[in-house]
Amino acid sequence: MHNVKRQSRSAIEARKAREKSQLDTFLALTDDVLRRKKSQDYSQEAFDVTTRIVRINPEFYTVWNYRRNILIKNVFPSSSPEEIFNLLVSELMLTMQALQAHPKVYWIWNHRRWCLERIPDGPGVPAEHDHEADAQGNDSPAADPAGWRKRCWSEEMRAVEKMLDKDARNFHAWSYRRYVLANSPTSRPLSSELAYTMRKIESNFSNFSAWHQRSKIYSKLWEDASSEEVRKAKETEFELVRNAMYTDPDDQSVWMYHRWLIGPGHDTEILNRESSVIQELLDEQPDSKWCMESLVHYKRLLLKNRRHEGQESSAVPESSLDALVDECLSLLTQLQTVDSARRKRYADIANDIASDRP
Amino acid sequence: MSQDSKLLIPLHVSYVQSLGENKDDLTYHLTAHLRMNAIYWGLTALCVMGHKDALNREEMIDFVMSCWDEEAGAFGAHPDHDAHILATLSAIQILVMQDALDRLDIPRVVKFILSLQQPSGVFAGDAFGEIDTRFTYCAINALSLLGRLSELDVNKTVDYFSKCRNFDGGFGSTIGAESHAAQVWVCVAALAILDRLDIVDQETLAWWLAERQLSNGGLNGRPEKLEDVCYSHWVLSSLAILRKLSWIDSEKLEAFILSAQDSEGGGIADRPGDMVDVFHTVFGVAGLSLLGYPGLVDLDPVYCMPAGVIEDLGLRKDWQALPRRT
Repeated sequence: MHNVKRQSRSAIEARKAREKSQLDTFLALTDDVLRRKKSQDYSQEAFDVTTRIVRINPEFYTVWNYRRNILIKNVFPSSSPEEIFNLLVSELMLTMQALQAHPKVYWIWNHRRWCLERIPDGPGVPAEHDHEADAQGNDSPAADPAGWRKRCWSEEMRAVEKMLDKDARNFHAWSYRRYVLANSPTSRPLSSELAYTMRKIESNFSNFSAWHQRSKIYSKLWEDASSEEVRKAKETEFELVRNAMYTDPDDQSVWMYHRWLIGPGHDTEILNRESSVIQELLDEQPDSKWCMESLVHYKRLLLKNRRHEGQESSAVPESSLDALVDECLSLLTQLQTVDSARRKRYADIANDIASDRP
Repeated sequence: MSQDSKLLIPLHVSYVQSLGENKDDLTYHLTAHLRMNAIYWGLTALCVMGHKDALNREEMIDFVMSCWDEEAGAFGAHPDHDAHILATLSAIQILVMQDALDRLDIPRVVKFILSLQQPSGVFAGDAFGEIDTRFTYCAINALSLLGRLSELDVNKTVDYFSKCRNFDGGFGSTIGAESHAAQVWVCVAALAILDRLDIVDQETLAWWLAERQLSNGGLNGRPEKLEDVCYSHWVLSSLAILRKLSWIDSEKLEAFILSAQDSEGGGIADRPGDMVDVFHTVFGVAGLSLLGYPGLVDLDPVYCMPAGVIEDLGLRKDWQALPRRT
């Protein structure tokens, strides 16, 4: 149970008394549905019982299974494509109502996918039958055989956005969103998904789910992009993150996204630049844990790069490595005070760095 | 010493014992789909508190067997409910803890479990095909307990986990999903069972896990979310598997877990002042065990079962809890 306030004994007894008739109804329905299921009753009446139950208790996964079996074994085989389409649309409506009351129930999201994937061809007929339509003198523009599917899948985007408007961190909704984006018959440009994550981030910088989605979309976009395009896009992102850092230096989502932008940190120039940006912020906010934490991380990447360069050209003087090590150790000492819950981690890192000292 | 500063073991034991007596409560029946899991949670909590025998062994085993779904060859959550991997793992864990595996048709249940693996390597929860890394963990844990892990296609399975890994070191429910502490635990524990922790970016992940601790001592499951006692298990067990439990403040976390106890009726809630349930009770107690709380029995963070049971099966992995205090 999450976020339910503890009740007194008497409040619990009062609730039980209030819920008595609901309890009796639910138990009777449960007996009925399990008996019908056992006797392989796939009738409309049985279907209606499942509707009543999932409205009361959408967690009853066995009833969702039974409902799908009724559809598969009895309803679909005796229905026209249009009837199946209408039925699945009403299933989608039922699950939407259920999700509004229970936005985190896996079984509802699951049933929704199942329905969506079974939207039949229509309202047009598939190409190989087109001549029949012509022969009947049908001169209206040919209806799209994927029309129903397209309509339902684009409706899904609206539905999932509604869910994310209510709770912008609901990971079920985000997963479903990715599923719809990946499988929809009408493809949507990745740039519009970037714009969506931007809207979500602008309304709340702390929404790490949106930052996460943004990192995934960029990763996909950059698979086919030139290095110049990637560089430019990253510059825009650094700018965005910089603003967020200054707005709320304690918000870890922003720092994590920054770390993703830096990645393995092979670009020493960017590492140096971003380190000075963070150093400036630290000068203004001398106790900022995330400034220090990030600086240590980036300085360690610099150390790694310098050591690598040094191996190749012996151009890096020992003294500059030493200075970096000292800066890290000093930050780690401060971190052990500022963020004492994690002091052992900082001490471990300090040990690692010190033992690597040239 | 205030009431809240120590674990109220006798009260929690009687709370777990009383769970089956709420049949006049609607909530009890609305959670029938979790009954098998709830028994596993209750039994594990009792074992960790050193009161395994507080629930009747025979009745428990009979209940588990009454949930067998003969058509599917696996367990449902309740008599006449459909088979599902979630209930099946809990049933197997209960039978192992009660030393009653002889009651199980092992070849059939192994067949059910293996049938759920998808071409991508992930497992479905049942024949209807919902996929999730949680289900892969359930499959791996169950096959391992049954000594049948050799029948698993390990490379395919590990390949899917590696595709779920994010830049923050964590894992999500499917490819592309956000890191979440509970999903991190199922992935890391599954990889530990398969001896494939090499695919985990351990330093980054341990950092991300340590950052789950909030200033009130509690742990959250994702950045910028609220604390919740159940993460005491998801986060701590993952850290224990990575041997980095010392990276958080154990005293503050212990105090937070203890403050979520119901000092009148027993049980532990998600956070102080909320309604208790058996789910938060076991994960609170599990967290305390890993933190070395005095008088508790060791918990195995990979299987979320008593460590002794896992050792007897020869399945112990290289995790590290904090030393037991006296």
